Order: sequence, then C-alpha cells, then structure tokens
Amino acid sequence: MVRFFLGFLVLQALLFGFELTPWAQHWFVVPWTGALATLSADLVQWFDPGVLATGNVLQSARNGFAVSIEAGCNGVEATIVLVAAMLAFPAPWQRKLVGLAVGIVAVQGLNVIRVISLFYLGQWNFDVFEFAHRYVWQALIMLDVLIVWLLWVRTLPRTTPRLAAA
Amino acid sequence: MIATAATSGIRPGRFVLRVAAWLPAAFLVWYLAGPVLAWPVGMLSTAVARTAFSDLVQGVEQQGHVLVFVSTLKPTLATTTEGMARGVLSIDVNVLLYSFGWPMLAALILAARQPHPLRTMLVGYAVLVPFVTWGVVAEFLKHLVFDTGPVVASQAGFGAVQREAIAYAYQFGVLILPTVAPAVFWVLTHRRFLETFAGRGPGAGAPRQ
Repeated sequence: MVRFFLGFLVLQALLFGFELTPWAQHWFVVPWTGALATLSADLVQWFDPGVLATGNVLQSARNGFAVSIEAGCNGVEATIVLVAAMLAFPAPWQRKLVGLAVGIVAVQGLNVIRVISLFYLGQWNFDVFEFAHRYVWQALIMLDVLIVWLLWVRTLPRTTPRLAAA
Repeated sequence: MIATAATSGIRPGRFVLRVAAWLPAAFLVWYLAGPVLAWPVGMLSTAVARTAFSDLVQGVEQQGHVLVFVSTLKPTLATTTEGMARGVLSIDVNVLLYSFGWPMLAALILAARQPHPLRTMLVGYAVLVPFVTWGVVAEFLKHLVFDTGPVVASQAGFGAVQREAIAYAYQFGVLILPTVAPAVFWVLTHRRFLETFAGRGPGAGAPRQ
C-alpha cells in the first residue's frame, strides 16, 4: 500500500508538472480544451441549435451567455489522477491499458456533462452556477475518478496483490 | 478487524447511490458550517504566515469563510501620494475553494458504513486542514506575485525560481489537493471495505447488499 501511494503521488506530481509546461499546454491542453468545447457544442446543438463553440468558449447565440473552459474544467487534472492511480497500482500492463482507455472515456464523458450542465445552470441562476462550478462538480469528477479506479481494481485477476499489500 | 456484515459483498451501484444520497446533506452542512470549519485553517494560515512570511504578512483575519491576509506591502511606491503610501495591501482568500473535499469525504465515509464514521470524519477533517491551508497560503502568494502588478510584486522580493514554485504550489493546491487529499485519506482508512468492494476481502464470497 505504501509503495502504491508513493508511486501514485510521485507520478501525479510529475504528470501535473508536465501538464503545466508551455510545451504541454500548447500541444495538448489547449487543443484538448478546444475539442471539449466543440464536442459539448455539437452535443448541445442536437436539442439547442443556438449554441456556438469558439476556441474554449461555449456561447449561446440566443442570450449571449458564454462559459470559458479553463484549467480544472477540462478534465485533464482528473485524468492525470486516474492515470497515476492506475499506473502505480500493481497490475498486468494489458489491464492497465484497457483500464486507462475505458477510465479516460468515463471521466471525460462525465466532464462533458459537467460543461453542458454548467452552461445551462449559468443561464438559469448565476449563484447556483457558481456553487456547482466551484465546489460540487469538482467533487463529483473526483468521485468519478475514485469509483472508476475502484471498479477497475475489482476487475483485476485475484493473483494481483491485495489493496492492503499493494 | 473483522469485516462487518454491512461490508460483506458490496454492490458498486448501491455504494455510488449512497454516496450520491449523502452528498447534498454533506455539502449543506459544510456550507453552513463554513466559518467554523475555516477557523483552524485561519489559525494554521496565521502560523504559517508568521513563520515563513513574517516580512510579508502583518496578520490574518477571518470574515466568515474568507481569510483576509493583511500584508506589509504598499499598493504603490512610498514616494507617491502620502495617503496611498500609508495603506497596505490586503488579500481575501475563500477557504471554501480549498475545502470542498470535506463534504466529499463525509459522503464517502457515511456511504461505506464502516464502524465509527463520526470519529473518522473528525480525523479526516483534522488531517485535511494542512492541505486546505496549503491552497489558501498559495493563493495569497499567487495574488501577491502575479495579480498585484510589478510595484507590489517587486516589494515581495521573490526571484524567478520562487515565482515558479509559487505558481506550481498554487496550481497543485487548487486543482489537485482539494479532491485528491480526501480521496487518499478515505482509501487509507477504508482498506478492508475496499478489499471487499474489489472482491478480494474476507467477505468477498458473501451475498452482496
């Protein structure tokens, strides 16, 4: 358990530090955030045609309300935590790769729901938007990461070390 | 410790529903008790500021769930208007921004239905106070160095490496620690529950709840 947690903390700190570098921001974080805004707008346009995405901004053409997707809202940090937790946990590499593929989709999927829900919450009531944005959704995304990781551990073969010994 | 009947065989769906059910109540209590819960963070922030940044901070005052860092720095050069030069810069930091992991942790603890949930919550609260303080102090320093303009930032006297360290500490404190620290605490204090959840514990073969 100690080895797993040390590995998790070191990996997480390194990945997070890497994410903050100008290179990672330019080549990964900014394009990723733009793609998230575009995907959110594409999904919303199915039932609300007056929504546009420009860069990392999702905007309503009807009332002008817009949300800008920034660090902490693009799901990158949550993904980093999940990646660190799965890579640090002793498991066969094949299982890790499958877990990462499925887990990242699960985390990013919920993050798309977060962006869309905040977009509409903000148009309805800004105080509720602020509360949900600053506190509730942050916690929900991390709970998603935790539950995805727990479910992944549950799928591992029983020959892998127990949590207590990991 | 022996696994209780409540943990012998756990359905993930039910556990997630229990977490979701506890979360609104936990958030309500956390928000209403914000000023009380922020008090130890204010005390620790004051201690950190007086120990590590005594030349920058005169004091830390609590106003509800907001901590006001009264700095020693002047908002403008001392050679300008007398009234302006006499004032000092104060920076407000919202403790809630760094402590929303508490309701998340409370919901997880209550949903796990392990013995002594109240005691675990109290220990968790105490353990998380330093992590919340990290975020609060890092935000104060970030405002001081990056948001106040060159006149104030130059008074603080931080070098390039220190500014980078403050930027990293702030980002880590706002984006990672508030949620990861409670999750790690919960995992560490619920290992037997997790063994059972993962189907590896002593109750793994028992009927699932």
